[in-house]
Amino acid sequence: MEKMLETLCAASGVSGAENNACEAALSLLRKYSPDAKADKFGCVSGYIGDPDNGKPTVMLEAHIDEIGFIVTYIDDSGFLRVGNCGGTDRRLYAAQTVTIHTVNGDIKGVICTLPPHVASDSSKTMKTEEIAIDAGFPSRKEAEKIISAGDRVTIDNTLAKLCGTRVTSKALDDRAGVTAVLYALELIQGKTLPYNIEVLFASQEEVRGRGAIIAAFNSSADIALVTDVSFAYTSDDKKQDCGTMGKGAMIGISPVLDNEVTNELKKLAKDKSIPYQCEVMGHDTGTDADHISISHGGIRTGLISIPIKYMHTPVEVADTEDIKAVGRLMAAFITGGESDV
Amino acid sequence: MSENKELFALIEQLSKLCGTSGDEYDVREFIKSRIPAECTVTTDSIGNLIVFRKGKKTPKNKIMYCAHMDEVGFIVTDISDDGRLRFAAVGGISPAVVFGRRVIFANGVTGVIAAKALHHMSSDEEDKQPKISDLAIDIGAENAEEAKKYISQGDCCYFSGEYEAFGNGFIKGKALDDRVGCAIMLTMLGDEPEYDTYFVFTVQEEIGTRGAACAAFSVRPDIAVVLETTTACDIADTDGEKTVCKLGDGVVVSFMDRSTIYDRELYKLGRETADSIGVKNQTKTLVAGGNDSGAIHKAIGGVRTMALSVPTRYLHSPACVMKAEDVEATLAVARAVLPKIAEL
Repeated sequence: MEKMLETLCAASGVSGAENNACEAALSLLRKYSPDAKADKFGCVSGYIGDPDNGKPTVMLEAHIDEIGFIVTYIDDSGFLRVGNCGGTDRRLYAAQTVTIHTVNGDIKGVICTLPPHVASDSSKTMKTEEIAIDAGFPSRKEAEKIISAGDRVTIDNTLAKLCGTRVTSKALDDRAGVTAVLYALELIQGKTLPYNIEVLFASQEEVRGRGAIIAAFNSSADIALVTDVSFAYTSDDKKQDCGTMGKGAMIGISPVLDNEVTNELKKLAKDKSIPYQCEVMGHDTGTDADHISISHGGIRTGLISIPIKYMHTPVEVADTEDIKAVGRLMAAFITGGESDV
Repeated sequence: MSENKELFALIEQLSKLCGTSGDEYDVREFIKSRIPAECTVTTDSIGNLIVFRKGKKTPKNKIMYCAHMDEVGFIVTDISDDGRLRFAAVGGISPAVVFGRRVIFANGVTGVIAAKALHHMSSDEEDKQPKISDLAIDIGAENAEEAKKYISQGDCCYFSGEYEAFGNGFIKGKALDDRVGCAIMLTMLGDEPEYDTYFVFTVQEEIGTRGAACAAFSVRPDIAVVLETTTACDIADTDGEKTVCKLGDGVVVSFMDRSTIYDRELYKLGRETADSIGVKNQTKTLVAGGNDSGAIHKAIGGVRTMALSVPTRYLHSPACVMKAEDVEATLAVARAVLPKIAEL
């Protein structure tokens, strides 16, 4: 599972340009769903079962996109200006190494900053419109041979191990969720299921869940289980706003989620001794669950989240045991609680 | 391998090594292993590596070349109950290049530096850059007990910045300040020297040019040449004299920075030598930065000092950026000035 997570995190897929991440996810998903495909909107979907067998259908969903930047302008000196795709963290822009994903291949750059030798004020964060990326080109003309406006940009970091079962990477949001879905599919290999299974890895979650809105229209799911990341407590945060890393799957409880599905998830977690914690929200969830649940005439939706620290930074931290717990809980649900997972 | 290829392979290896001020051991051992057998090598009590290369002639002036081995980094000051590590910067580091970074410890442990997610910040908080004293390193430990299995107070850690070539002849990496100077000196040590020369790889430059002060005292040079990196601000939204110096415009010969007013004759000699061998050269358009010259020129009743620097963007960050041709220019001029200052 760790290998799968590493592969998925390394792939790039800023909102609206998910193709590289889609390919990585597709090649992993095809093991379980040989006909899985990516559509024109950057969503990956797969099916396990037989649509004519009369069984209800459960959708397992995670989003495939990640936050990043989009090149908006190249100035005369060859520096790139960008806009953000999703909520990027302004505290960490300065001197980050970035990858610019161009049609001519990936190239490196560094976000400009003044060093402490000459900078006068280090107390304010940089604004996104102040970002200039140094891609090592002396002029617009040289830069434009390789880079175009509209190219996406990611801040680099591949997966690294921390203490115990914890890992750090960019894009754990939500490749950790994609991994949890794939892990669930691995666990149910060879088992007879009371459901047909739809898998959806949706694009553009970070820009208001547009991929899920588009893809859910074509779904025939009766129930959806969505997995995304949520906040793990750190000592500078409020305990009541966070889950706890290492304490298992965060079962979402929210007005927009289906109570029966939610209760079933809690019951299964207890019965199967899968570590879990509850995440109660008095509003919508800020995930694809908000959109999927009101697709068609409504799809009964449950949300299982993975606690991560430092969300939307290139140093997100997750505990692989939490990811496994989410995978096990999904597997328990789609096997109808019948088998050991 | 051509000399330039060898030079950049050496810079890459040196960039990957970790050694902040007072913790230069790994860098020193690597450099020692690369010094030609015919040199006399001593490590002094503060940790400077002093290398004497016998030449064909004894120069009129005793010559010392210098580059510093240390880099900016972090030192663990305390381990909190929640398992996160409190730390201080060793050397001048802007808090903006600390947030959202990965750091590595000598024992292979990885940590990250960040804080609560932006989703949980007020709009006021979004505008404020957290201070280093408010940040912590997270190595994934559950609590202090687990963290202490891996890390002790006083352990140093480092930016993890990959060395890479990119763009039109640019390179980037951590610690190019001043491993590039070290690489230039190691390359010069391979030359068949005309004159006896001292090459000193100094320690503790980043916390106040402390190693160089000791080295100047024990070597007692007449003339010193400091090989360094210097702030280039030729980036977007900066122009005119504020750019300080520019990548691609060649070696920087300084007339003044915040630590030194350089010897006027040596400054002129540096620029004229570069011109005479057809190497691009420039000077700084702003009095900024400082280097080992600050300690050396004041030592032992005064040492005439020259600084030759590679213009570098984003100094003291995980991604120092320079242009390869400027490194080559600095090496060429460092070599070409030797016979001139030897007999000055």
